[in-house]
Amino acid sequence: MQLVDRYLQAVRFWLPRGQQDDVIAELSEDICSEIEEKESTLGRSLTAAELEALLKQRGRPMLVANRYFPRKSVIGPALYPAYIFTLKIVLFGYLVPWFLVRVGLYVFDPVYSNSHSILAELARAWGPFWISLFSAVGATTLVFAALEFLETKSKFLENWSPSKLQAVRDHRRIPRVQSTVDLAANLVFIGWWLAYMGSNTIFDRGGVRITLSPVWRAFYFFFLATAAVHIVFAAANLLRAQWTTGRAVAKLVLDLAQAAGLCSLLRVNLLAEIVVPQLAPERAARIVAQINLNMARSLPFLAVGCALAIGLADVGRLFRIRERRSGIVQVAATVAMIAIAAATLLAR
Amino acid sequence: MLAALHTEEYGYSLRKTLADHGMEIDEGTLYPLLRRLESQGLLKSQWREHDKRVKRFYRLSPAGKAILAQLIEEWRAIDESLYEIVKEALHAVS
Repeated sequence: MQLVDRYLQAVRFWLPRGQQDDVIAELSEDICSEIEEKESTLGRSLTAAELEALLKQRGRPMLVANRYFPRKSVIGPALYPAYIFTLKIVLFGYLVPWFLVRVGLYVFDPVYSNSHSILAELARAWGPFWISLFSAVGATTLVFAALEFLETKSKFLENWSPSKLQAVRDHRRIPRVQSTVDLAANLVFIGWWLAYMGSNTIFDRGGVRITLSPVWRAFYFFFLATAAVHIVFAAANLLRAQWTTGRAVAKLVLDLAQAAGLCSLLRVNLLAEIVVPQLAPERAARIVAQINLNMARSLPFLAVGCALAIGLADVGRLFRIRERRSGIVQVAATVAMIAIAAATLLAR
Repeated sequence: MLAALHTEEYGYSLRKTLADHGMEIDEGTLYPLLRRLESQGLLKSQWREHDKRVKRFYRLSPAGKAILAQLIEEWRAIDESLYEIVKEALHAVS
């Protein structure tokens, strides 16, 4: 019976503290009854192997004890789909920026890229990546565990109303508010652009002067042209508020062209001169160099991030409004977007 | 389970009774279930000596009897509905 005692001891270890004696007494009695019955059938005592087989059939002690616990889960079936959905968003929202920051750092920081190989950069980022990833997943899990606890107490998921469900969305419809805002914003932008940004000297007041490099003229006309196209686009959307594949592709190309222009702008040492009274020219030159370096280093992250976010939204729209015949166009648009984004990142 | 406990049984004898009626149930399921039913007030239990060993005997409580009557009614209704559906299906396939 030593084997039975060992089995009962193992079960006891995993049982809820308040039930240990009671459960073990009942389980012990059940095992003894079964042994007794088998022995009376066989007309002899059970062998060690038979006893072991009998206990094995009852299951692993931890699993046997587990059945005495109330049925509880950290995240129950009601919240599980929302948990997985949120986890996907968190992971996507974390992994994509992480990738962009790492690639951007390598591409836009000449000092860094000259002193590190890509493999060294990946190895360096490996530890922080996992720590951040586990933190993000852990925080999401904790929030949902807290929601599960609240749900068991207050049953808040049962309070809902069909009338509050989201209206059926027409993916082809272009909200007129959005077109109006686009139109107004681009008109204001063009007015400001023409009034203040036409000259290379963009600020000259009270002895303070900020001058941009000659390359500015090309960017000036580029952004003027893209803003004008945006105005035409917004006006067309206002008149015919329905997305078509052609229009969605045009929007994608326009957005990506603008983003590529912005990324390039931030990397061409745009600032030529700053003149401030009582500031030595050498000091001013150092400030100019530092500003250009900071723009080249940090701002492209934002520009590339925004470009990818807008590009993904544009590609997503293409897929939502897809027509049977436009599959090739969508694939081409996706490939084009990825290619442009990669080219923007890797152009050095 | 409630129906089988219309007479007093201890765990192992209950398992045997159920098995004799074609309903095998392992002890890992049986005992936690008995505890849950008891905590819900549907069963009453008592430790008592029997065949020179102390055993825990279970029997239906008054609340258990009321629930059993209700469940039997529900089961009969479901059984009748299923029978009607199966009868129509039998006509259709024969």
